Amino acid sequence: MAADLDPIEPTTTDAADRGSAIDRPAKPEISREPDISREPVAAWPSGSPAAAANSIPVPPDAAPAPGPPPDRARAAADLIVSMQAVTHRFDDRDVLIDITLAVPRGTILGVIGPSGAGKTTTIRMLTGAIAPTRGEVLVMGRPPTKFRRVDRERIGYMPQSFALYEDLTAGENIDFVASLFGMLWRRRRRRVREVLHIVDLWDVRGRQAGRLSGGMQRRLELACALVHEPELIILDEPTAGIDPLLRGAIWEELHRLRDAGRTLLVTTQYIGEADECDEVAMIVGGRIIALAPPDELRRLATDGDLLDIETASLYDGSTLMGTPGVRRVSQDGPRHFQVTVDDAGGSLPVVVEAIRSAGVEVASAREQRLSFDEIFAILVARSEEERPANGPAPDGDAGETRDEPSAETAA
Amino acid sequence: MSLFKMLTRILAIVGKELVSIVRRPGALISLILGPFLIMAIFGAGYGGYRRGLDTVVVLPPNSGLPTDAKTYQDVAGAGLTISQVTTDEAAAMDLLNRQAVDVVVVAPTDVQANLQAGKRSAIDVRVNLTDPVESTYAYFLAHGLEAAINRQIIEGAVDQAKGYAIDHGASGTNVYRIPANVIAAPTEVTIGNVAQSQPSVVQYFAPAVLALILQHLAVTLIALSVVREKNNGLFELFRISPITTAELVTGKLLAYGLFAGAVALLTITMLVIGFGVPMLAQPGWIALVVFLLIASSLGLGLLIAAVSDSEPQTVQLSLLVLLASVFFSGFVLAISEFSEPVRSMIYSLPVASGIRLLSDFMFRGGTVAVGQLWLLGGLAVGYIVGAWLLLRREMARA
Repeated sequence: MAADLDPIEPTTTDAADRGSAIDRPAKPEISREPDISREPVAAWPSGSPAAAANSIPVPPDAAPAPGPPPDRARAAADLIVSMQAVTHRFDDRDVLIDITLAVPRGTILGVIGPSGAGKTTTIRMLTGAIAPTRGEVLVMGRPPTKFRRVDRERIGYMPQSFALYEDLTAGENIDFVASLFGMLWRRRRRRVREVLHIVDLWDVRGRQAGRLSGGMQRRLELACALVHEPELIILDEPTAGIDPLLRGAIWEELHRLRDAGRTLLVTTQYIGEADECDEVAMIVGGRIIALAPPDELRRLATDGDLLDIETASLYDGSTLMGTPGVRRVSQDGPRHFQVTVDDAGGSLPVVVEAIRSAGVEVASAREQRLSFDEIFAILVARSEEERPANGPAPDGDAGETRDEPSAETAA
Repeated sequence: MSLFKMLTRILAIVGKELVSIVRRPGALISLILGPFLIMAIFGAGYGGYRRGLDTVVVLPPNSGLPTDAKTYQDVAGAGLTISQVTTDEAAAMDLLNRQAVDVVVVAPTDVQANLQAGKRSAIDVRVNLTDPVESTYAYFLAHGLEAAINRQIIEGAVDQAKGYAIDHGASGTNVYRIPANVIAAPTEVTIGNVAQSQPSVVQYFAPAVLALILQHLAVTLIALSVVREKNNGLFELFRISPITTAELVTGKLLAYGLFAGAVALLTITMLVIGFGVPMLAQPGWIALVVFLLIASSLGLGLLIAAVSDSEPQTVQLSLLVLLASVFFSGFVLAISEFSEPVRSMIYSLPVASGIRLLSDFMFRGGTVAVGQLWLLGGLAVGYIVGAWLLLRREMARA
């Protein structure tokens, strides 16, 4: 159907736009402002892996049995990370507020938010450095503050700042970290070689870490986090300060690890990196303002999928209201408007057909993919509007602080 | 399996620390060659004796006393260096006030007349010293001078008395039977040292220098190593990894213990071969003292690291320990010169017992201060356990 149309420039501001495009003659328009701040953002949107893990459907004919249902028990066992209504209070202020999230095995959860949002505090809680004031944190089925050695051996961690030995070579640093995890010589030797190749540092394995470039140092830290083949990999801003090409390479590696069954928890302040994750927790002021897969976040921000339509002649977009799947129309020019639909894939041909049936040619029609910067801005604005109804705001910065009480003192 | 893993972790720390030391050639040179350089300069430059105090002797005008400095130098001994003999008291005092000389001795007038009149004559000794130790030394020398002059006067008087006796019919044999100098000083001291060895001044300080260097090296190296890891975020990595604080501490103790042990072996070999320092004890005893000294010093270093927030603070605390060690440990001033409870506090420094024990074992072949061996062992255990508890807390909050 689209083969006879010339492609035109995408209307999205997202550099990573992957929307489908259909170019058609034009039709008249209607003017209506988009409405993006209506429903509260669900903490557990349906359809996401995390949501699925949290609410497993039980067949109607299933007989009730004592204890948790088998499906639920299996799902719970499959959860690598679980935070339930977690609040952390420090110095008379809440730095994390009512955090609830779950990370199933074999997924990438991105914790995204501005600096000071509470990302590192969340990470520190998951690694056992601090205990929650309220709520429950479980990592691989155990509170992090009660980790045993075997639990620690299953976790890989890459801290935010460079934390390796500058006077040791790249290879020696990885070997050292592998030794910390108790890897014996033969396996260690093999894995050091493997991860050096994975992060593309094999050629500089003999160079002292202090003489590596910033990007190489980040890759070296990544290699150290991966060397013992952990089940859960926690990466605190792995792409911070790294050029876009290298960021792409790092995400490629993270996807490969995910595909190999590893579970990854990644914080980043690059909102655009949300697209790389299976699940995204947007965190602002210590609160999760949205938790969903990237596509779902787009839908949350716009209350559906967004179609960007340009007609060859005047067309009143409001006439599309009532068309199956159409939720809203926002006209921003005589021949240009956005249509919010339930599902872009299904609704795009229907909308185009509706315009054509009115005798107007469609010049172009495509799914508009908002950039994650835009989505983030929308969701933050919505969260701000809803906050008075939901409770007080946290006191300022949620605190990516290193001066919080220890797990033992907090406990 | 878990034992192998534990060993792997500890050996990883040991290997990493040793590689880090070797990768710092500047530190290596200053740490290993530094002690020998200090010893060499000390041996070449230190005579072991006090400089004689520059002295001017003021004679009364027309006293008829000899005016050559040598005569008075023979009386004064090595402690005073007679640089001038004069009758101008004002000029001598001017020299003293300008600190050109240290002592002015004003000889008394009419000694003979005073003696005959049954009166004492005053020898006026004036000094211009602010150093209390030097002042005490000057007073001590003045008393020695007084005794020497009195002896000479008595000798002169005895000789005069002999002449008078012979003139008045006394038998020459009987009169000369007791020499005048024996009458003037009927006793004299002969000293016998029963110590197993008599080291030279330089050799005597060798164990003290060795103990001080080992303590400073152990304290500084391990403290800086731990504080760097605390500040660089490596404690966070340790906390998340399966390594325990005990394994971390063990690895560091082993690494720096091995390194300090190697430095000790090298230094002792150089001291014995290069400086001829006596080594009377079995090597095992020396090794035990060195082991306990290094262990307690490493424990002290770990404790400093546990309470320090930064590298500058660590360096500052290490230097304070060094300063306290130089002043209080018997290196400069004898511990016995301090009163309680300061003396007890001094023994919290490993080097205090270390100097005593190394000196005893090297120069005497054994020690009567066996309790100090236990004290060093106790310090090692106390410091290490204390540091381990504090560091464990630190690691939990990393």
